[in-house]
Amino acid sequence: MNGYGGNILRVNLTTGKITREPTPVDLARDFIGGRGFGAYFLYTEVPAHADPLGPENKLIISSGPISGLLVPGAGKCDFTTKSPLTGGYASSSLGGMLTAELKYAGVDSIILEGISPHPVYLFIENEKVELRDASAYWGQGCITVEKALKTQLGEEFQVAVIGPGGENGVSYACINHDYGREAGRGGVGTVMGAKKLKAIAIRGTHSIPVADLDAYRQSGMALFKACKESDGLKPWQTYGTTIVTSWCDEVGALPTRNFSAGSFEKGASLYGPVMREQIVITDKGCFGCPSPCGKYSRMKRYGTYVEGPEYETIGMLGSNVGISDIQDVAQANLLCDDLGIDTISTGGAIGWAMECFEKGILTLEDTGGLELRFGNVDATLKLIGMIARREGLGAILSQGVKKASQVIGKGSEKFAIHVKGMEQSAYATHNATAMLLAYMTSDVGAHHNRSWAITYDLQVGRDQVVPEKVARIIWLQNFRPMFDVLGACRLQWVELSIDRELYVPVLAAITGIHRSWQDLEKVGARIWNLTRMFWIREIEGFGRAWDLPSPRFYEEPPVTGVTKGQITRFEDVQRLLDMYYEQRGWDANGIPTPETLANLGLKSIID
Amino acid sequence: MITIKASGPLKSYLNGSSQVDVEAAGLSVFETLKLINIPAEMIALVLINDQPAAKDTILKDHDFVQILAVIGGG
Repeated sequence: MNGYGGNILRVNLTTGKITREPTPVDLARDFIGGRGFGAYFLYTEVPAHADPLGPENKLIISSGPISGLLVPGAGKCDFTTKSPLTGGYASSSLGGMLTAELKYAGVDSIILEGISPHPVYLFIENEKVELRDASAYWGQGCITVEKALKTQLGEEFQVAVIGPGGENGVSYACINHDYGREAGRGGVGTVMGAKKLKAIAIRGTHSIPVADLDAYRQSGMALFKACKESDGLKPWQTYGTTIVTSWCDEVGALPTRNFSAGSFEKGASLYGPVMREQIVITDKGCFGCPSPCGKYSRMKRYGTYVEGPEYETIGMLGSNVGISDIQDVAQANLLCDDLGIDTISTGGAIGWAMECFEKGILTLEDTGGLELRFGNVDATLKLIGMIARREGLGAILSQGVKKASQVIGKGSEKFAIHVKGMEQSAYATHNATAMLLAYMTSDVGAHHNRSWAITYDLQVGRDQVVPEKVARIIWLQNFRPMFDVLGACRLQWVELSIDRELYVPVLAAITGIHRSWQDLEKVGARIWNLTRMFWIREIEGFGRAWDLPSPRFYEEPPVTGVTKGQITRFEDVQRLLDMYYEQRGWDANGIPTPETLANLGLKSIID
Repeated sequence: MITIKASGPLKSYLNGSSQVDVEAAGLSVFETLKLINIPAEMIALVLINDQPAAKDTILKDHDFVQILAVIGGG
């Protein structure tokens, strides 16, 4: 099949059996690749109510038809599984070089099932696939192990690895790659750790077939040209995601002290230009990227280096925990990366714990002597280690704020900032109804990358509860994740403002199949509804109540900052959901109707 | 005279043009944006003569100001 590696690799870690089968043509037609393949295999192959950490759960790793080819940012890989953090659907996207190597090895998806009797790593070199002993690496940090494997196997191997966080069962453990890229959210690393799979090392040397070589070269180069000519290229390359830090602070979207406000009085010391001046030493990009937004930073105070921090980490391990020095944020980033835990969920958990301590709900005895006040850098860095090792309070926090607040109680549930059990990422949503709805209805829990709509809130009116806002969110949810299906980065479209129509001819030239963005958005809607049905199948009583935001956003207006006194009324939260369900073709409880499922070609899968 | 260069969706506020000259010496960036009807809250980054600047920076004659929109985020 043009554009594809051509094979699905199945690895049973219990028995050691490894098989290779051709990628089904109708799967590629209906679900295209990447996140689409992940959603399909998750629903159809993981038995209902499987234990996320048990042998029946599967971790599905997929590239897309654009991955590894001459398209800007063609370096995205999807990791899909049943989440140990939420109990529902988890999909996390990883940049870097892994997905290209997967395609060159002739593989579209790796499906991992079972549990190995002892720690192993998966070795893939084209058709040679083996499970190799990883006992010597178990317990070691991500950076150390990736370096060791590349030294042993060769630099041309691309490595994905988990850290102690995944080994120890932290519910939001991530999978690391290229010393600083992560498949961060939802506990994909936790599942890998439960399977006793320490790492995956891949090398491939095959070509990828394309339908029309001349058209592919022309249309691919047109995309690169559009990126290079974008006025936004130089600033984006200079600051990366930190370009929005100051703006978020200005408009009240910077999470501050456990989302109690959206502006941080010390925020200026975290802004992009400050970071660039104080710690950034070079830019770093993913496969085929003309606009490298990664930043490699040096923390002189600590004598360390890190890739990052990105805006999300600056928000969650900076302002959200009251820390204002970018070197401290970068050091916290490094610890999370090496230990293999998600910076967003870690920042959310620590922010919650700090509020508990400030309110007297947690004491020094509970924290093991840590003065867990907002802004305490030492306590933050120590607590990150405790979470990864599941020690003391870290053991409670390691299961996420939803479960932690259920254990601690005393009203702490009210300020556990999550949706469906996933900690909210770094945009405060006080009186920002479109972005609030985006978080409420995201398919994995409170993550922003499916639909980002804060500027839309500002354009239309922050407090407006209108059908247009809902339509915007649904359109973004059907459209933006398609980049994860195709296997390419969306940030060239998002940040450089290039015309998305330029992707249509290159996709056609690669696959030989013409698909408009309307066609692709229909696939997006199909995947969205399939993963919704996964939640419904897996969680008894799943429905509307699971789409509600933290009460903080409808009960507690900020007392400081730009959004002081502003809140969304609970009746408006409910109205947003009413409109969303209607526009999605779901019933009043948020369940897709049989007609909706049939229209999207899902009837046979769901039945 | 100050030159304002707008990128991406901000061009729509300048009738499709990417650049405009404005008599704004002595005004802040905020005030200048108001003068040319561009909402300040849509601007993620301001560069004055290639250097990052705050929106309350007072502009000088012959300053070259580049403004970048917040586009899609995340």
